[in-house]
Amino acid sequence: MTGLFPGFLTLSAAMFALGALGVMLRRNPLVVFMSIELMLNAGNLALITYARYTHTMAGQVFALIVIAVAASEVVVGLALITGVYRSGRRLDIDDLSEMRE
Amino acid sequence: MTVIFGIAAVLAFFGAVGVVVSRRTIYSALSLVANMVALAVLFLLLDAQFLAAVQIIVYAGAVMVLFVFIIALLAPGVEERLRPLELRVLVGGIAAIAFTVVIGRLALNGITVNAAGQFHGGLGPFSPQAVNAHGQVQTLGEQLFTTFLLPFEVTSLLLLVAAVGAVYLSRHRRTFR
Repeated sequence: MTGLFPGFLTLSAAMFALGALGVMLRRNPLVVFMSIELMLNAGNLALITYARYTHTMAGQVFALIVIAVAASEVVVGLALITGVYRSGRRLDIDDLSEMRE
Repeated sequence: MTVIFGIAAVLAFFGAVGVVVSRRTIYSALSLVANMVALAVLFLLLDAQFLAAVQIIVYAGAVMVLFVFIIALLAPGVEERLRPLELRVLVGGIAAIAFTVVIGRLALNGITVNAAGQFHGGLGPFSPQAVNAHGQVQTLGEQLFTTFLLPFEVTSLLLLVAAVGAVYLSRHRRTFR
């Protein structure tokens, strides 16, 4: 157990908690998506921290895959948000919560 | 190294705070860019040079440009300020601080390590010296195409599905009516 390992892991936990807070508290779907990105980045930081301190490569490989997943998630999510906007609704999570049709 | 970690960690933390508390969406996006650049510095400190480059190119470059583009296109209004004394904000904030403190304590006391301070299962063969001697990108690529071939292929399928989905969603004009 060396050096900055607790620091990296604590920062990762703080970023994840802030991202979760953003998803639950904010009403703008764009900010919610950015908070999800924040949580994915926190996960990446934890993965790479463990890869570095346990001398394994799996963490880095999966961090790369998480980045690809995040990119595709952003593409689909932003397409959905644009679709909602074009249908004339307000961009507000609380207004879109009915899940009807 | 500790000094660089401190600066980058503070920048990453306040970038993350900025994403959540900014009233204007564009400020949230810019805070996220700061957070991601700081994170790339942290990846460099963790001997993950390739992932630091990918973080800058894919996240701070492509993904955030897409975000800023959509924000400029939709021009979302100003959200009302999160009041610190509102019950949900208070409970959420306390829960977030508690989560961070618990993880921090566990990390300090040795999360996933045994009594001797060693990781369960011991250390792998990929020490930073070995990886740098063989080449960072070479090691990552070899692992990706041998041990982790199936996840890699599934990821390529996911990217295809995402591309098709995005084209479908933006083609039909009345999907959400």
